[in-house]
Amino acid sequence: MSTGLYPAPRLLPAGDAAVSVELGDEISREVNARALTLERLLLDARLPGLVDTVPTFRALLVHYDPLVLPWAALRARLLDLAGRLADAPPPPGRRVELPCAYGGAHGPDLEEVARRLDLTPAAVVDLHAGAEHYVYFVGFTPGLPYMAGQPARLTIPRLDRPRTRTPAGSVGIGGTQTSIYSVESPGGFWVLGRTPLRLYDPAAAEPILLRAGDHVRFRPIDPAEFDALAEKVAAGTYRPRIEEET
Amino acid sequence: MSQGAAVGTLFVVEPGLLTTVQDLGRVGYQRVGVPPSGPMDRAAFMVANRLVGNPAGAAALECTIKGPRLEVRQAATIGVAGAPMGFTINGQEAPSWTALRVRPGDVLAFQMASAGCRAYLAVAGGIDVPLALGSRATYLRGRLGGLGGRALQKGDALPVGKASPEAVREDRRVPPALRPAYPAERECRVILGPQDDRFTSEGIRAFLEGPYDVTPQADRMGYRLKGPEITHARGHDIVSDGIPLGGIQVPGEGQPIVLLVDRQTTGGYTKIATVISVDVGAIGQTRPGHRIRFRRVTLEEAHAALAAEAAWLARAVQR
Repeated sequence: MSTGLYPAPRLLPAGDAAVSVELGDEISREVNARALTLERLLLDARLPGLVDTVPTFRALLVHYDPLVLPWAALRARLLDLAGRLADAPPPPGRRVELPCAYGGAHGPDLEEVARRLDLTPAAVVDLHAGAEHYVYFVGFTPGLPYMAGQPARLTIPRLDRPRTRTPAGSVGIGGTQTSIYSVESPGGFWVLGRTPLRLYDPAAAEPILLRAGDHVRFRPIDPAEFDALAEKVAAGTYRPRIEEET
Repeated sequence: MSQGAAVGTLFVVEPGLLTTVQDLGRVGYQRVGVPPSGPMDRAAFMVANRLVGNPAGAAALECTIKGPRLEVRQAATIGVAGAPMGFTINGQEAPSWTALRVRPGDVLAFQMASAGCRAYLAVAGGIDVPLALGSRATYLRGRLGGLGGRALQKGDALPVGKASPEAVREDRRVPPALRPAYPAERECRVILGPQDDRFTSEGIRAFLEGPYDVTPQADRMGYRLKGPEITHARGHDIVSDGIPLGGIQVPGEGQPIVLLVDRQTTGGYTKIATVISVDVGAIGQTRPGHRIRFRRVTLEEAHAALAAEAAWLARAVQR
């Protein structure tokens, strides 16, 4: 089982109104694609009593109303849909470009990360901005992406002492992952830079920027462009560059 | 569920400790990290709406420990349910669990809760704030929904929607025998899992024996509890996954955290058990210093309890 997929999904009750469908035992694109595909099939089935879905690295949490959708019926449907995952195409992702000001005030940890990885700061930026980052899922806080795909050369343990306050838009690395703080919050990632875009904007018509399955590239910008873009974002006149996958 | 144009208002004279607009919660956005929010005690919230003839999902006020002081600007029918909070109209004690007619100039006021933690005030027609991602529920950390994504403040004017005709015609109440109690020690039923296999049998026994005290770190996101240490068999980290309502995380130090309506949608700590739906409201009715014990039940028992609660709701509010 090099793909990390279970031969059959594990259905783990998460209380009386949710069930976790675990599809594999590792963080891999294959396992995650199955979770996203299962979510798509389930949402397309439009089952009365299906309340909410939360895909993560290797599982799909399904919230349901047991008085409308009895557990036995949901269980049978989940097993049926899970049996069809091998033949179903994963939902299309999108290509999203995120401008990012690396280093300086926007990326206070760039120098230290470079030192620890025995690289120049410019090389860290090249490696990070040269990679395609895949969004496994969006969660924890509104719009926060869990991304992987950066070169192994950038692997670094998380901060020993998490910061108490990281501004929204901060782009950080830790372990093999990249994440972007969607709201100001504490956190244990090394902050390499910051995007002027808003991953979560409660006042916007589309409050959430990224979705599970998206492919993200960072475009390095200088502090002046950061300020110019931040102004456009605040005025609501900036359109992020997003390509739908066909 | 449009409640139509606002036809009346409630003026906020004093906001209380933490008073928010809630409806039954935001559906379909946990997949992008937005929690459902909604009332901490769903049953009491639904009773308040039923008292005034509102649909179950109409927006109402959730009052925490000490409720607000409000001035009525337009004749309305109101109903209060949940924790006893010294409710008065124009300084006179007024009944909870009962639909009441109020007139312009009337002052509705709450004191400190004498038991429990949260009371609900519903107005016929519902609180008519704009929908945010399909819901009027306030999500404080996300500054979403309700009144500008925040708790009530002095000087706010709460818009009230158009009431259904029955609201004005019928007297509704919950007979005293059917009203819930709000003890300082609560038993909460749980279903073990999804990661109960990550704990030692001593750890699970300690968890089920308890009791656990509610600490000051208790809010709409979650309640940190303190009591017998729960020991892990192998590590306290998991590959991050989704967190259900009532999910009980146990991080490394072995003390449980019950995650509630404004919780983070995903997390990387082991979850030993989940509080069953009908008992989540019991957690929401505790506050720091109160005490919780957990009792294990099966999925079938939990679903039976949910059906029994629905039956209770259907007959509790009488004409």
